[in-house]
Amino acid sequence: MKITVHYTINSKACDLEVDAGETLLEALRNRLKLTSVHRSCEEGECGACTVLLNGEPVNSCLMLAAAADGADILTTEGLMRGDQRHPIMDAFVDLHGMQCGFCTPGLLMTGYSLVRKANGGDLDEATIRQSIEGNLCRCTGYMNIVKAIQEAKRRKDAGDWW
Amino acid sequence: MNQFIGSRALPDLVYHRPGTMDDLLGLVKGIEGEYRVVAGCTDFIPAIRGGKWRFADGINVVDIRGVKALSGIREEKGEIVMGAATRLSDILVSPVIREKAPVLADAVSQMASPQVRNTATVGGNLCMASPAADTAPPLLVLDAKVAWRTADGEETTPLNKFFLGPGATVLPPRSVLTEIRFPAPGPDEAARRTRMGQRTAFVCSIISVAVWLRGGPEKIEAARIAMGAVAPTPILITAAESVLIGKKPNEATLAEAAKTAASNIAPIDDLRATADYRKSLAETLTRRLLAACVGDLA
Ligand SMILES: Cc1cc2nc3c(=O)[nH]c(=O)nc-3n(C[C@H](O)[C@H](O)[C@H](O)COP(=O)(O)OP(=O)(O)OC[C@H]3O[C@@H](n4cnc5c(N)ncnc54)[C@H](O)[C@@H]3O)c2cc1C
Ligand code: FES
Ligand code: FES
Repeated sequence: MKITVHYTINSKACDLEVDAGETLLEALRNRLKLTSVHRSCEEGECGACTVLLNGEPVNSCLMLAAAADGADILTTEGLMRGDQRHPIMDAFVDLHGMQCGFCTPGLLMTGYSLVRKANGGDLDEATIRQSIEGNLCRCTGYMNIVKAIQEAKRRKDAGDWW
Repeated sequence: MNQFIGSRALPDLVYHRPGTMDDLLGLVKGIEGEYRVVAGCTDFIPAIRGGKWRFADGINVVDIRGVKALSGIREEKGEIVMGAATRLSDILVSPVIREKAPVLADAVSQMASPQVRNTATVGGNLCMASPAADTAPPLLVLDAKVAWRTADGEETTPLNKFFLGPGATVLPPRSVLTEIRFPAPGPDEAARRTRMGQRTAFVCSIISVAVWLRGGPEKIEAARIAMGAVAPTPILITAAESVLIGKKPNEATLAEAAKTAASNIAPIDDLRATADYRKSLAETLTRRLLAACVGDLA
């Protein structure tokens, strides 16, 4: 069964024909070539496929493309401003928040959603670790990921954010 | 569609997303062939991907999240009412739940991951009827009832009577779970829960325990103890209630109640833990939770 869905993806409206048995992950990668959205476990365990759906992180592998009809979707591609990296991406680069990089787009999306909503002073380590519980990283040991997200919040507070 | 290399593609689906309760019930009543009523799909997709459920001839998927009336949390005539399609993340931030039933928010905060909680629903967790379903023990001690509807009517049953076995409930064919409701706890009531897993986050429970007490430091008037992952379904363990009711909640009484509760379960050995370990945890965790509740009542 084919279904036409309407998404707002990375701030652009888009109509897309999908199979009813297709996940959002498959639609984003295969049809829209948004290959920052990584596929790994396909069962909700790793977070590599994390995208923001109406501003909240979800596993795109656990959602039917059809069920996301009408949603506002943000992927890592959407964090870029032209050729310019988003400040949270710079923070990951500067603080070595990645090694192989496979988990990175998922962590960027979860981290971005946390930092965007956070008010007040520095984010404490426990808050960050809790919010990235659904993102596995097999390389870094998380230390530098936590530091990079903390740094991203500081950059946001300093006015460097979009 | 070009599937990913190594990907276990989903079978042929027919997707339905009715927008009203009447459309939903009418659709479910008339549907032909295999069908599933789904909400967050966080159990459904892994079950078909992993081969636990097979639908060789395709399947109708009826997504209930288009029906607004099935989501949300409200307080009504002394009861807290949650729509079956209420997301776990909505429970976590609900002012009503945080104030009146923090025991439920506490359980939900340890379930799955933030990403899964943003789509998974409380009704899906109960309908899946996993022995380890983490919303069940707190809801059992809160004396929850569940309601379902078919095109022909509505029924309500205590949650305690809802589960039949792993993956099996009393829900009749062509029905949709609509609501979960429980009495809003009063000031002379206290409830606590805990779970044990291999890590603190993102694991299936080895055991989960919830307890509820009504009374004061001099006398316990009513008590409930529930556990998950110690039997084919989440269970309410009534045997220990008589040990507590009418008694002063001193250390000896609580210890005896915990021991009685643990001797009334029949857990199994599995990948995650042995039956003996589960029994030992059941007693210790129950005793600690009872003591914490007594502290809350003081
Ligand atoms: C990575 C991961 C981690 C998880 N961790 C936990 C955990 O820590 N604790 C835990 O308890 N669970 C956990 N789960 C399981 C799952 O997320 C929960 O059970 C969730 O609440 C299911 O809700 P859903 O809306 O996604 O259900 P769905 O997948 O949509 O449905 C599940 C089942 O219930 C039926 N159903 C759903 N809603 C209704 C309804 N209203 N009426 C009739 N039938 C209905 C469906 O037919 C289906 O059989 C985890 C799952 C994943 C993928
Ligand atoms: S690919 Fe979605 S969580 Fe692993
Ligand atoms: S950097 Fe390799 S998995 Fe995280």
